[in-house]
Amino acid sequence: MVFDVFFLQQVINGLSIGCVYALMAIGFTLIFGVLNVVNFAHGEVYTIGAFVGLMVITALAPPLLAVVPLVLAVGAVSGVGLERIAFRPFRRFTDEASQKSRAMREATLLSSLAVSIVTREIMMHIFGGDMQGIPSGYLLQQPVAIGPIMVASGSLVIFATSAVMLGALQFLLYRTQTGLGIRAVSNNQLGARYVGINTDRTIVTTFAVGSMLGATAGILVGLYDGAISPHMGFAPGVKAFVAMVMGGLSSIPGAVACALLLGVSESIATEFLSSGWKDLITYSLLVITLVFFPQGLFGHGRERA
Amino acid sequence: MDVNVPDARLMPATLAPPAAFSGRGRRFAWTLLLLAVAFGAVPAAIVGTGSSYLAQIAITTMIFVILSASLNHVTGTAGLLSIGHAAFYGIGAYAAALLSTKLGLPFIVTLPAAGLIAALFGFLVALPTMRLVSIYFAVATLGIGEMIYVILLNWVDFTRGPMGIRGIPPIELFGWQADTLLSRYLAVAVIAVACVWVLHRLTHSYYGNALRALREDDQCADSMGINVERLKIESFVVATFFAGIAGALLAHTSAYIAPDNFRFMESILILAMVVVGGLGSLPGAVVGALFMIVLPEALRDIGDYRMIAVGATMFLSILLLPKGMLAEGTALGFVRRSFSRGWATIAGGTPVGWK
Amino acid sequence: MSNTLLSIQGLTRRFGGLLAVSDVSATIAKGELVGLIGPNGAGKTTLFNLITGFTPPSDGTVTFDGQDVTGRKPWQIARMGMGRTFQNLRVFPNMTVFDNVSVGAVGAFGQSPWRALVNGGAHSRAVSERSWEALERVGLTAQAGDIAANLSYGKRKYLEIARALATSPRLLILDEPAAGLNDTETAELADFIRRLHAGGVTVLLVEHDMGLVMGSCSRVIVLASGRKIADGTPEAVQRDPAVLEAYLGVEDDAA
Ligand SMILES: Nc1ncnc2c1ncn2[C@@H]1O[C@H](COP(=O)(O)OP(=O)(O)OP(=O)(O)O)[C@@H](O)[C@H]1O
Ligand SMILES: [Mg+2]
Repeated sequence: MVFDVFFLQQVINGLSIGCVYALMAIGFTLIFGVLNVVNFAHGEVYTIGAFVGLMVITALAPPLLAVVPLVLAVGAVSGVGLERIAFRPFRRFTDEASQKSRAMREATLLSSLAVSIVTREIMMHIFGGDMQGIPSGYLLQQPVAIGPIMVASGSLVIFATSAVMLGALQFLLYRTQTGLGIRAVSNNQLGARYVGINTDRTIVTTFAVGSMLGATAGILVGLYDGAISPHMGFAPGVKAFVAMVMGGLSSIPGAVACALLLGVSESIATEFLSSGWKDLITYSLLVITLVFFPQGLFGHGRERA
Repeated sequence: MDVNVPDARLMPATLAPPAAFSGRGRRFAWTLLLLAVAFGAVPAAIVGTGSSYLAQIAITTMIFVILSASLNHVTGTAGLLSIGHAAFYGIGAYAAALLSTKLGLPFIVTLPAAGLIAALFGFLVALPTMRLVSIYFAVATLGIGEMIYVILLNWVDFTRGPMGIRGIPPIELFGWQADTLLSRYLAVAVIAVACVWVLHRLTHSYYGNALRALREDDQCADSMGINVERLKIESFVVATFFAGIAGALLAHTSAYIAPDNFRFMESILILAMVVVGGLGSLPGAVVGALFMIVLPEALRDIGDYRMIAVGATMFLSILLLPKGMLAEGTALGFVRRSFSRGWATIAGGTPVGWK
Repeated sequence: MSNTLLSIQGLTRRFGGLLAVSDVSATIAKGELVGLIGPNGAGKTTLFNLITGFTPPSDGTVTFDGQDVTGRKPWQIARMGMGRTFQNLRVFPNMTVFDNVSVGAVGAFGQSPWRALVNGGAHSRAVSERSWEALERVGLTAQAGDIAANLSYGKRKYLEIARALATSPRLLILDEPAAGLNDTETAELADFIRRLHAGGVTVLLVEHDMGLVMGSCSRVIVLASGRKIADGTPEAVQRDPAVLEAYLGVEDDAA
């Protein structure tokens, strides 16, 4: 029985890590949907979210709930900026040879990578490369007892925030004009343009929305873990990217399911393996999934990119 | 309806048969120039300045030339985006390091062994992943690359984990030891030039055309009689073989390797070299490697801002020249002309085909 | 019937619940120029894809040159001498015209990395000459060094044909080569195909343009809703009430 309780606790921990991956994976999926390129700077948006949150907390000491809208705004702004700098300039090539050129696609991928390097280095410059502590009053590490299980308050906050954000996203995508635009551009960019959708604006909006989710994930983890650094975005960024691909690239439910799966399996793996090996589990899951489901778990059709 | 044209050529030729290609003089000019730089100017500079720092950069550059040229082969030419190249570089390095430190094998054995072991891993990875397309393949290579990294880092009994492997003997051939910086550079340069030459022959040929066809439209290439699956596996195996060679060179020139030399960011750095130089362009891959190694060193004076400048330069280069400094089309024409690899010249002086 | 080049037996393909091609049998003799017509969505392209190995059949067999090729890979079938073009043009956009065509020749001759490294001179020359000849046949030699994506639509069609010709096909399968061409261009193309055929290539031609098919082909096969409804001389097919019905859009979903 002792084992079961402990096991359950691990699962809950894993789910909260998985929620963080999921928030980021949704951003990847949305952006990949409208542009068909991977946004390598997504991890930096997460880091920016955490650092801006910390700066606001140390400077103004606002109530915790006030930090969230601020981080959302910062996420949106950095998403818009990112799109302007790293992605929009490449849409100037509209001739057929460029559109079908691999070199062009990979160039866009690396431009976001270059932007992420610059951003990370600037943050290193400002904040230093070391871990930064979060003021203890804001930490979300108080244990909360639910029956026999002890759960960190951070996990609960992460669950609640993720649920709210997923709900809001669902509303945005399926109940609003903007969401219709995003879904249309994801489906067929040219077609969407022909029916009068402003594709440029839709793409910017998508970046804003995706980056809001990413930035929120960043501050949540900061408050939960109690320490942040300019490098913190890298690992969850890769995991979220993996979750998106396992989920089938274009499926938000798929990405969320795979993100949770990764989170839980990592957390359980630390039970049986030393923590160094836990990434092996993640990547084995990825490779096995792709070998048996070449289009991811929830993908369909052959992606002809 | 039954027009009888006996001639097999159905349309009158609009041009005279193409002129046989004559570019011999220029071929030697360029070849000589490149060899003179690699084996004349750079060694002269190393000897002249006596700078171990310069020699170290020259060696690193040569190793990365192999890495970027080999990644270009699979990603640029054959179109399989690999973001785990550094892992095969790592396999080569560890193979060479372990074979020489544990079994005492000489360089003449460890070098090809490193290449072959990396290629074997490449083959095993390629078999199940070749049917993956586009980003799915890329992510599979990322996953496998990270798995290899985790293994190098955590299998302490075998790899000594994060402590790395020390005391790897320097390059040695039949009693001749590359123990000075100059000789070390020369040994690496000879091997790097040989590797690039092999990749050059493979890419700049009709075999290379078949690889490019895979990248453009593999299903269509299939319908033209191209054995797509086999070609994809071949290109991946070739690329991982050379990555392994580069790894062995790293191990034997730096005497010490650790898992962190082969992380994901290293794969991305190699990819950046290929893209900055020009995806699908072998001369571009060489130039890209030079650029990405020399630039950060040249910027050492600005200290902390160095990486910001590197990132910004990379960004600007991609922004202004998204097809790379030497785009594929230009590069293929250049090679046909200046290395006399073209088959013939059509009216207007454009070289076509391969020798 | 040693003169038979291609023979298909009971070829069937289902896409989910949709029967795209249903129990089609036919033969093509060496040296024939056969037209395949049918209304939109009749299953012509699907039938092509079944013959060339691009899509595996749900049922039935394809025999090419006396060998059962059902289930073989497209490249294996292509190497046996079946060249094709695509309805939605599929040139290699970032390669030159000459390099595009050379892929067909490489496909036919085979290629190994060793040959690129040592002693590949004769092989390369053969590929080069074969490619050049194919370009001459379609009249694209002047564009040999151009990037394929920059060609006009009409020229790309000829490029696709040249690439297929470079595989030295004994059977050339053209999927709607005249689609998107104006009347003059279509007439030129018809002329070209006739001369190609006269030069000894067996051709299977899918067309919407009845004029082209009726004027050029010695035999016409008609497909409607995945089934073969007629097979005969152009005159006979044109008089066939089943064909008229299909083309007038009267759906008969019976049988
Ligand atoms: N990959 C596929 N998946 C599902 N359905 C398909 C697929 N390919 C073709 N179909 C369906 O099979 C039927 C036959 O299509 P096909 O393209 O063979 O017709 P076609 O005669 O070539 O038409 P067209 O004249 O428009 O080229 C159509 O209803 C089409 O929608
Ligand atoms: Mg069709």
